[in-house]
Amino acid sequence: MLITQLKAKETIASLAEGKKVFIINCHGCKEVRFPEKEAVELQKELAADGKVTGIITTDYICNPENMKLRLQKHMSAIEAADVVLVFSCGVGVQTISEYLENKTVCVACDTYPMPGFQGVTPLEYDCKQCGECYLNLTGGICPITACSKSLVNGQCGGSKNGKCEVDGDMECGWERIYRRLQQIGRLDVLKCPVQVRNFATDDEVSK
Amino acid sequence: MENYTKYKLKERDELVSLLADKDNLFVIACNKCFKEFETIDEPDCGEFEKLAAEQGKTITGSAKVDFLCNKNHTEQNLQDMIPEGTENVIVISCGLGIQTVADLAGKPVYAASNSLNYRGHHGMALTKKSCDACAQCYLNITGGICPIVDCSKSLVNGQCGGAKNGKCEVDGEKDCAWEKIYRRLEKQGRLEEFLNQPIQIRDYSKTNVKVIQDYVKSIREERLEGYYGGVHPSERKEFSEHIALERFPEPKTAVISMSQHLGAPANPIVQVGDTVKVGQKIGEAAGFISAPVHSSVSGTVVAVEPRMHATRGSEVMAVVIESDGKNTLHESVKPNKDLESLTPDEIIDIIREAGIVGMGGAGFPTCVKLKPAKPVDTILLNGCECEPLLTADHRVLLEFADDIIYGLKAVLKTTGAEKGIIVIEDNKPDAIELMKEKVAECGNIEVFVARTKYPQGAEKTLIKRVMGRKVPSGGLPADVGVVVDNISTVKAISDAIQKGMPLIERVATVTGEKMKNPGNYIVKIGTSVKEMIDYCGGVTDDDVLIKMGGPMMGFALSDLNVPMMKGSNGIIAIDTDQTKEEACIKCGRCVDVCPMELSPLYFAKYADEQNWQGMKDKNVMDCVECRCCQYICSSKIPLVDKIKAGKNAIRGMK
Amino acid sequence: MKITELFERGEFVVSAEVGPPKGIHIEHLLEEAKTYLSGITAVNVTDNQSSVMRLGSLATCKALKDQGLTPIFQLTCRDRNRIALQSDLLSAAMLGIENLLLLTGDHTKMGDHPQAKPVFDLDSVSLIHTVKQLEEGVDLGGNKLVGEPPKFAKGAVVSPCSDSIDAQLAKMERKVMAGADYFQTQAVYEPEKFIKFMEKAKQFGKPVQLGIVIPKSAGMAKFMNDNVAGIHVPQEMIDELKADKEKTKAGITGVEIAARIIKECKPYCQGVHIMALGWESKVPDLLKLAEI
Repeated sequence: MLITQLKAKETIASLAEGKKVFIINCHGCKEVRFPEKEAVELQKELAADGKVTGIITTDYICNPENMKLRLQKHMSAIEAADVVLVFSCGVGVQTISEYLENKTVCVACDTYPMPGFQGVTPLEYDCKQCGECYLNLTGGICPITACSKSLVNGQCGGSKNGKCEVDGDMECGWERIYRRLQQIGRLDVLKCPVQVRNFATDDEVSK
Repeated sequence: MENYTKYKLKERDELVSLLADKDNLFVIACNKCFKEFETIDEPDCGEFEKLAAEQGKTITGSAKVDFLCNKNHTEQNLQDMIPEGTENVIVISCGLGIQTVADLAGKPVYAASNSLNYRGHHGMALTKKSCDACAQCYLNITGGICPIVDCSKSLVNGQCGGAKNGKCEVDGEKDCAWEKIYRRLEKQGRLEEFLNQPIQIRDYSKTNVKVIQDYVKSIREERLEGYYGGVHPSERKEFSEHIALERFPEPKTAVISMSQHLGAPANPIVQVGDTVKVGQKIGEAAGFISAPVHSSVSGTVVAVEPRMHATRGSEVMAVVIESDGKNTLHESVKPNKDLESLTPDEIIDIIREAGIVGMGGAGFPTCVKLKPAKPVDTILLNGCECEPLLTADHRVLLEFADDIIYGLKAVLKTTGAEKGIIVIEDNKPDAIELMKEKVAECGNIEVFVARTKYPQGAEKTLIKRVMGRKVPSGGLPADVGVVVDNISTVKAISDAIQKGMPLIERVATVTGEKMKNPGNYIVKIGTSVKEMIDYCGGVTDDDVLIKMGGPMMGFALSDLNVPMMKGSNGIIAIDTDQTKEEACIKCGRCVDVCPMELSPLYFAKYADEQNWQGMKDKNVMDCVECRCCQYICSSKIPLVDKIKAGKNAIRGMK
Repeated sequence: MKITELFERGEFVVSAEVGPPKGIHIEHLLEEAKTYLSGITAVNVTDNQSSVMRLGSLATCKALKDQGLTPIFQLTCRDRNRIALQSDLLSAAMLGIENLLLLTGDHTKMGDHPQAKPVFDLDSVSLIHTVKQLEEGVDLGGNKLVGEPPKFAKGAVVSPCSDSIDAQLAKMERKVMAGADYFQTQAVYEPEKFIKFMEKAKQFGKPVQLGIVIPKSAGMAKFMNDNVAGIHVPQEMIDELKADKEKTKAGITGVEIAARIIKECKPYCQGVHIMALGWESKVPDLLKLAEI
């Protein structure tokens, strides 16, 4: 489950240029984000040029078993196409491109990270799965995701009016942390030893 | 199935030092997600408790919770969870769960676990493929193999010099991504294309925090607006919403089922060979929760026998009438006194005698609903039509606005409610405008516009959305002072009072992407579904799924020789979907969308184990069978069937 | 010379700041520094200031040193991971550059390469910690350095007029804990706020240099108020800048204001750090007027 946006119209047009196209729409993990209306409009234009051998709209194409079952009845239309154009997140495209290994499989979307683990509801909270949870030092507010610079030793000097230097709408994570620690009477944790991140963990644990 | 875990307990040393200055601990452990769904306890909680005990700490209690990151559920769970005397809350979960609790607990919250960076399944299914969500997808130039995830250095212009024997320099067991990419492109004859690509330079500004935050905010607002859960399926109402109502041709034969309502089937009171007229009662209500049935045609009774029933899937007693095409009205069909002169009881008698039942699909006898056991202050008229595809109610709103208001006034009079609210979803602006105009001088009737979300029209969600009142588990709308009626139902009430016409016809949509000529029809009860489809030009090809009702709550029809009934709001012909049920991956999305705030994944698990008591304990009887859980399920588990089986078994337990 | 030695002697330490050009010609920079800044203790060289790509700080430091000036090498965490940071620190020591100012750095999105990957492998606190480690002869990976370890004066920054002063003090404390020897502050326009801050910062026992940016115009003041973190130019000062446009244009008003601030704050701090932003030529006048 990831947030997707259509690539630029010209980019998509160049992928389809002079080719016969089969289109697969994945309504993603539903209820998250797929630019359904924009995709339909764009595909109407492609179809009007008479280059589309078929369009299917489905969900969870990242689930290989069901994806295969669903593609089966469209195999002749897929065969007839030069390019399979997939409107989905990166996982979906990779699943299709592995299954249709001999076909040119192209992607019409860019995928954006979604706060919360990909796979559950979009959340206000985010976790970068850093493998060395800092929440104990920060009153339960994640410095990796709540701070634009993922600082782990305190605030940088860039916040203005309590807002982040990168995004004026975003509250400074470290100000939030400070307030929370004050609220729970644990400002003393700021005296903990200097934190140096270990970027090796995430690779190690993923093995 | 692989068992993923998103976190693991922190190292012993770290936990010991964490606990050094803390005591009176309450431990909350998340039951983990994206894993094989067992109810065997996760070991982490016990392990931590043991360690804390060794350190001489007092544990005030512990709890194991599903989907700790689900703020709505966690907030409710936390209410009475943490006992007096607790000083510190220790959470064992991924970072999301810990942050959720830290926000809600009002006490110092500490993490006893580290989240792991699992690179396995960023899609919904458990897949090996993953995506780093870089916002600049490179798959088009790499043959569909991700250079960001699969290459240790995330190189986007080709292989580095570090690969040895096709393996990555960072991990000798990992294939070099760029070798895989090269081979794939070579196989597809796309090497030239690759070589001619411009030099790629990554743009790290593309994963714009603001864009993402705005998205998430809007998604969450949509999700939680009015009531918890719900889904937004493609509406596809454009096939038929603009098509004006047309009277469907007189059926040659009407098959009128004795069971078109909730409760006891009606008893037939005509015999083969009898002549009947339009509006003549042919079945008598067989109890308090039952409804009489009337003939929709004039003609001769040719059979009184069990016939295939569209929604029961079995044969049910029906009266079959051969129409004489004359439409002779029965003498009982005559206008009643005007609304002002009728007493509430007289109105209820008229409604009962007219065989009016809930026309939104449930078919609950309306006269029963209108005599609630508790005082009612508001009548909600459901004009949401939240089911995708269907446009019948939309057309009724547009073409019978005055009848709807008349019917609503009658309902207000019978129940003594002060106010009537007509609820319409914002995807029907023309209906909203018209109804607003019509109710302008009514005084006690208003129009409520609800942002489209399914299942808005379900009684309990509608009440929550409009009134902010929560019907208790096992309760009825009247428990919170509300009665909900469908707009087609009150239109039928208007007909019964003003014309004396019982419920013998209704408005139904015939539509779907596989229906040749979609339309909205006033159709007589008893008309064959097959006739309707044929009249609409048939379906576009053989690979089609026909349903009575909408795509969400409708019933799949294997036999088209079934009659339209009082609750049949549509016939749809849609694309088939070939999938097979897979194991639950405990993604939690069914919990996330269930408007009744249940945990449907347990229903699937318990139904398979025939653990009916377990289902009952998880409040399966509160399920409204809206199908949101099944719609969202990535494992394609037929949850509604399992829930129905459970409900039947539980009813049998009594 | 380490500027910490001067602090120890109780001297009021004056430093100024130069920004390397976007290009390889630094003759002009050197000329200005020699002309206007040779009278002061040390010269900071910014490190791709505001995330705008420029000539390197280290090379510019070396060039200044060759001209007989004492450079302060500014080092941010935005563009280098811990390997590059430590490597540059060793290079600095090898070139005889002994003064450091260690910062987190602005985010890449603030500058002229918003597409760049922001590094932030370390942050200011962990960078100070890293320098301290190196001084003890061990790198961050725990490996021994060969031979005599480097020795630096480890500077850090703090924003005394920030609207989240408690969080700033907490961070300052962490920097002290990590090994910071002295502090330079963000530009100060509100002496009373600075004095209040210093009352609290006193406890750390580290010298603090008052940050000064000469206000060039009312427009610049307003711009800083709207856009620059931790800076607030009071309305009276803006009015003062507006009052006599010619005088302001000539730099006289700005220098007067800056000198006033220095005089007012001097009893409470151990030095002043002037960020002239192109007005290096005004520095001697300013120091004279401030009676330093």
